[in-house]
Amino acid sequence: MKKIKVFDVINVLFLLLLGIVTLVPVLTVVAEAFSDPRYVVLGDVGIVPKGFQLDTIKFVLKRVEFLNAFKVSVIVTIAGTALAMVLTVSAAYPLSKPSLRGRKFFLYIFVFVMLFHAGMVPNYLLYRSLHLTNTLWALIFSGAFSVFNLFVVKNYFESLPESVEEAAKIDGASNITALFKVVLPMSLPVLATVTLFYGVGFWNNYFSGVMYITKPDLKSLQQYLYDLITMTSETDASGNTLQSAESLVVLSSDNVRSATIVVSTVPILILYPFLQKYFVKGVTVGSVKG
Amino acid sequence: MKLGTYLKRNYDLYLLLIPALIFVLIFNLVPMYGILLAFKDYNMFAADSPFMSIMASPWAGLEHFKKIFSRPEFLNAMRNTIIISVAKIVFVFPVPIIFAILLNEVKSTRFQKGLQTIVYLPHFLSWAVVAGIFVSLLGSTGMVNSFLESLGYEKVKFLMDNSLFRPILIISDAWKEFGWSSIIYFAAIAGLDQECFEAAEVDGANRFQQIWYVMIPGLIPTIVLMLITRVGNIMDAGFSQVFAMYNPTVYETGDIIGTYIYRVGLGKMDFSMGTAVGLFNSIIALVLVVSSNAAAKKMTGKSIW
Repeated sequence: MKKIKVFDVINVLFLLLLGIVTLVPVLTVVAEAFSDPRYVVLGDVGIVPKGFQLDTIKFVLKRVEFLNAFKVSVIVTIAGTALAMVLTVSAAYPLSKPSLRGRKFFLYIFVFVMLFHAGMVPNYLLYRSLHLTNTLWALIFSGAFSVFNLFVVKNYFESLPESVEEAAKIDGASNITALFKVVLPMSLPVLATVTLFYGVGFWNNYFSGVMYITKPDLKSLQQYLYDLITMTSETDASGNTLQSAESLVVLSSDNVRSATIVVSTVPILILYPFLQKYFVKGVTVGSVKG
Repeated sequence: MKLGTYLKRNYDLYLLLIPALIFVLIFNLVPMYGILLAFKDYNMFAADSPFMSIMASPWAGLEHFKKIFSRPEFLNAMRNTIIISVAKIVFVFPVPIIFAILLNEVKSTRFQKGLQTIVYLPHFLSWAVVAGIFVSLLGSTGMVNSFLESLGYEKVKFLMDNSLFRPILIISDAWKEFGWSSIIYFAAIAGLDQECFEAAEVDGANRFQQIWYVMIPGLIPTIVLMLITRVGNIMDAGFSQVFAMYNPTVYETGDIIGTYIYRVGLGKMDFSMGTAVGLFNSIIALVLVVSSNAAAKKMTGKSIW
């Protein structure tokens, strides 16, 4: 018995340590965002704010670039997720019917585009040819359909009992009516999961912006953040600090960067309880085919 | 049912498929026509639109592919891709398995839930945010350097050091995803037959023996499936991650195929070359993913699609 108890204590301590290690990087950034810039520059800030102040956060929130980027991210996330859900659900329903004629053919198309990509350059040239570069559509279209999510929804539809839908069809309902009146109301958990999958995907995507957007007022929050990070590390390389760039308000670049990170992550944190719940379901339900 | 009557009754199913098919046609299949670029000397202004110019540009045969293999940057990126991927499999892949097993041994569900809430969180942060976090942590005024300084060591330029960049990629990847990846193993552990554990206990097995002889063998199918999938994706060494974290000083150890394609194809506007490298990469990736899926099906009876 004694040996087992020793194991329990060590195990719990080890896991706690792991939890702390996970939290510390996040806490340092939060601490930096709320600390007095002087301490940040000196490297005096640990995981608790030193010289607590809200000026940096206020400064970030008032920046035109930030507000613009925030707006872009909100619009792209909402519009993109809506479009993605329409595409995904409407295709998942017919594909979930084993009796659909040509089902295999359609499935092959989707699996093929999931596995084989034309590559970065052809995609870029297509977007340019369609005049989508430097428009919000580029950000929306580049994340608006995921075959993986299509399969998650399709597998869920397949697991629903056939009988309820049959009853509706005997009453004369068409397939589309059955989808809206019967199937979708029974599928709210998976719809929530996939909506959140897409939503987080859009919110967190920085690379589509890097590829298709050069106009400053069309940059998303993540691209804005990406620019901020690469800019700082480049100035770091030449040995200069960014302080001089902020002529009116003297703030350290570390300060501003951390505050921007914190502010741009708040939406994710607000949604986190839902994200955790529905994402876990999505991972365990739809991802692997038995 | 005759095809005619079937279509008459179910035409709306096909209507529902149309939006996704059109979307895939435009944004996934049409770009495949652009692959021709790899075999042409591309002149963007040969016709009205960049895409139309593909046809109008002169053929180059396999010229670009020959060039690829004589470029040291490409060979370097190729090597880095494989080294980083393999290192991630060796060092990152086992972490969630061990974590799931250890956390499962804690009997308090409140402790389990609480810790899961913490370790799942980084998964929801973008790589831009995570890169920012690590720049803060490892920068010249960051916590790690302050700590080193307090011990009397020199400051280290972590993100500009070729010998440290790969370890940083591995650690940040583990940090971001280990909690999240453990979910699948928790689910697998929960799905194991409790009677096996009880039987082992009756036979006098202690907890280590129960883990070793009952739990781990029960987890093997899941582990094998995940491992094969991971190996199938070896050509992606974590593009979003590397792209957000790397800089010219660490190209030597950090540049991977994806970032190389970006710099050559879009950065230097060498479109034909970028497409050629992309095609090479896509084909290898396709072969690997398809064969790994076939292997998974054969070994575990499960597959990803």
